[in-house]
Amino acid sequence: MATLLSGFKYSDSLAVVGISICTAFLCEGISWILIYRTSSYKSLRSTIDKASKKLETMKTVDKPSKKSKTKKIDRVETSLKESSRDLSLSKLKSGAVVALVLFVVFGLLNSLFEGKPVAKLPFVPVSIVQKMSHRGLQGGDMTDCSMAFLYFLCSISIRTNLQKFLGFAPPRGAPNAGLFPMPDPKTN
Amino acid sequence: MKEGKSVKFKLQQQQQQQNGHVSPFKFAKLLDPEASWDKDQLGDVLHWIRQVVGLLCGLLWGAVPFVGAIWIVVFLILSSGIIYGYYAIILKIDEEDFGGHGTLLQEGLFASLTLFLLAWILVYSLAHF
Repeated sequence: MATLLSGFKYSDSLAVVGISICTAFLCEGISWILIYRTSSYKSLRSTIDKASKKLETMKTVDKPSKKSKTKKIDRVETSLKESSRDLSLSKLKSGAVVALVLFVVFGLLNSLFEGKPVAKLPFVPVSIVQKMSHRGLQGGDMTDCSMAFLYFLCSISIRTNLQKFLGFAPPRGAPNAGLFPMPDPKTN
Repeated sequence: MKEGKSVKFKLQQQQQQQNGHVSPFKFAKLLDPEASWDKDQLGDVLHWIRQVVGLLCGLLWGAVPFVGAIWIVVFLILSSGIIYGYYAIILKIDEEDFGGHGTLLQEGLFASLTLFLLAWILVYSLAHF
């Protein structure tokens, strides 16, 4: 296996992908232990799901013409926002642990593959992306890809899909799931 | 609410929906223009279609190999076209019920773009050097 892999010039890329797949599973495992299996998360989640469904039906089925209905919608909206804020607060703790793990793994990968092109890009990236894709690399060949860019691509694609697959993705019904809610132009 | 009351993990939720008001999830539904769609269900289906398209395009682009940033644009147009064609022509849903074209076309876009780039770069680097 090892000899087969070393036959490739860019076999390091497979190592980066493998490590980030393992990291993604590890992070989801940590998040599961710290939040997703707790009853407070489950109840918050069901509250949000219910409230967003209710809001949706209220908005589509009944025309919000009467004042009482508008008030009711407002109330549901506020409670929805409060619940999603609580949800993101409860995620903070595991978020910190996950960030620490990601940081350590990134440091490990950095020490393993520093200054080494791990892959060849089939395109020349725009200059903003080049900063990441050519990070720490010698030479002017912009199609050389550094570990950082590959790791970034892996972590986004694998983590998003893994979360989606396991059902841990943030609920759709809570548009302002962030800690700093922004006004949503669609609801107003 | 008509659904179950307690735990709401995805699988359980789907089972509850199967017992409840939403018709059971079948693959035949994916091509049925008469079927009624939940916002979450449609979002999930569109998300996974995009991921599959991204992965396949990435593998194909890398194997050929296609070189140049123009192929990213080709991928974006192709995958958005497939998504649009799927919900507008095959499912014939009214996009206004689901938050407009923007919401539907955005579903899973970034994840599929990164997945596509990853597959493209990996296959290209491993197969041609």
